[in-house]
Amino acid sequence: MSIDTNMTGTIVQDKTTAKKQGLFNRYGHYFLLAPGVIWMILFLVVPLIMMLYVSFWTQTTFAIKPDLTVKSWVTFFSSDTYFGALLRTLRIWLTVLVLTFAIGYPAALFIGQYVRNKTVQTILLVACVIPFWTSFLIRVLAWRPMLGKEGAINIVLMKIGIITQPIDVLLFTELSVIIGMVQIYVVFMVGPIAFMLARIDESLIEAARDLGASSWRIFRKIIFPLSLPGVVVGAIFVSVMVLGEFATASALSGRKVNLLGNIIVTQVGSLKWAFAAVIGVVLTLVMAAVIIGLLRVVNLRREL
Amino acid sequence: MMEVQGLSKAFSGATAVDNFSLTIGQDEYLTLLGPSGSGKSTLLRLLAGLEAPDSGVIRLNGEDITSLPAHMRHLGFVQQKYALFPHLSVSDNVAFGLRFRAVDPVTDEAVVARRVKESLDLVGLTDLGARMVGQLSGGQKQRVSLARTLVTEPKVCLLDEPLGALDANLRERMTVELQKIRRALGVTFMHVTGNEAEAIAMGDRMIVLDHGKLLQVAHPDVVFLTPANVSVARYINAYNILEGRSEDGRFVCGDAAFPLPAPAQDLRHYAIRFDSARILAEDETASEDSACMTARFIASEFLGSQVTYILRRSDGRTFEVVRHLSREDPVVYDRDQQCTICWNASDGLLFDASGNLVSAAPVRGAA
Repeated sequence: MSIDTNMTGTIVQDKTTAKKQGLFNRYGHYFLLAPGVIWMILFLVVPLIMMLYVSFWTQTTFAIKPDLTVKSWVTFFSSDTYFGALLRTLRIWLTVLVLTFAIGYPAALFIGQYVRNKTVQTILLVACVIPFWTSFLIRVLAWRPMLGKEGAINIVLMKIGIITQPIDVLLFTELSVIIGMVQIYVVFMVGPIAFMLARIDESLIEAARDLGASSWRIFRKIIFPLSLPGVVVGAIFVSVMVLGEFATASALSGRKVNLLGNIIVTQVGSLKWAFAAVIGVVLTLVMAAVIIGLLRVVNLRREL
Repeated sequence: MMEVQGLSKAFSGATAVDNFSLTIGQDEYLTLLGPSGSGKSTLLRLLAGLEAPDSGVIRLNGEDITSLPAHMRHLGFVQQKYALFPHLSVSDNVAFGLRFRAVDPVTDEAVVARRVKESLDLVGLTDLGARMVGQLSGGQKQRVSLARTLVTEPKVCLLDEPLGALDANLRERMTVELQKIRRALGVTFMHVTGNEAEAIAMGDRMIVLDHGKLLQVAHPDVVFLTPANVSVARYINAYNILEGRSEDGRFVCGDAAFPLPAPAQDLRHYAIRFDSARILAEDETASEDSACMTARFIASEFLGSQVTYILRRSDGRTFEVVRHLSREDPVVYDRDQQCTICWNASDGLLFDASGNLVSAAPVRGAA
């Protein structure tokens, strides 16, 4: 009888240790996430919540008080300057997005589909990144002697007699901001698209051709759909960077073209934290909406 | 129906297909056997129009299609890796050729739907039309790929190692299926394979290719019993091939010599089928008209209906003897036991210095 109890006792004990070990074995790998999660909570989630909270604080000329009010929000949506900046940001973002796609896709198509040698492919993709070997500021400022009233483009056009008066919309306008941004960000479109295109198995294209499809049909029905995940990833890169832009805009527009980013810089400069927070929240929401929208275009989970 | 004349192709100097000529008939099942690197895939790609030949002519029903691009040829090509479009459903994959071909596309969606359904019924995938390609097993992908090609009603359907990626079980089932489907449609199939059993079992005619050259094209029976060339005998993997020379009406190979089935000169190779030879029992002596040699026993392999005995000859090469268990019981030998192998001298095949068959033994049981 006593032996019996003893035995059951041991068995019960064994079960509990097994359970403990099981728990650790089953969930232990989640500890791998801990450093990342802690970092993100401290430096991303908390600041975001703070930004939302501060946007409802009361702002006086030189001070800010934690008395909740919607005054800053009302100012943002009722002011032509600020709401106009939102619309301008969206317009420039869309233009840059379309242009980077229109310029980047053919280049990516060449690298990904027509260059079959992997080494050459890599060399060409690296070549796309060469402009990044100079600093951002130099790349942006170099556009001034290029586009200015007495800049290279105007001089050449006047020399060969196409124009008699220098074109002055080239610099310090929305146009120059767009030219500058497209030049900087187009590579972020080329990379992911070329990557997806290079992954398309040659046999798919041969199969489509064998089934009687012309080259254009093959592009429309096979190559383009299979490259869409790359387009979406590229569009997300470009969108996130362009929507938060302020440096290119201020350097190439002579401070005439104000994007949401530029307004945040000015407001923070004059210690208007509540108002800057409002714009920060608006910008975050716009980006979130854009990313969600783009992810709807294609099911990345299935493709990658 | 389809004539190929003097087709050649080289890749940066290396010959892949060398002066290949063949006439392909209507409603036949052709198998093309060749070791890897023999140029069989290149040949198929040349026929399909995915590569351009260096020289030669391809005619389809009298019309020269040599320089016609692939999408204008009306030939079907089933790729080895299936090449299904991963972003389309099974139905859309099958419908691709009908909807998007440059010549005579089918615009009526009702017709497309009907033909896709017929095609999926034919390959036995009736209910899988809505699935995405990623949700299919290997055998199902194979069938979709076949249905996608057959739905366009090609004049000749080229299959590049269609059973290569399937497991043994599925392979056997698809063997039967492929023949059934082909007969139902009356389309000519040209089936490329590296597996000799597949080539022999499935073909109405069998082509043997090596180094881009056509070695033999005939009914599988004929190829099996009278290989035209020592390489063919080697590829069908049913012959022991002995190297030696002819001397005074005998074939001398190392320390053994056998009577020749027919007088011949300048011989280089002697081939004897695995199942023509047998191992003598210890107290048995060979009859007058048989050829014999000694060898040491290495191992035996039991395959259910037959046993393969593997022996080592005095020159170090192996010799295989296959005995069917319906005729006799398996015998156990010790490793390294000295055995005498014997066969009827008239069963030997002789090949001359250039590798060609010199005299065929009287063919027993051939069609």
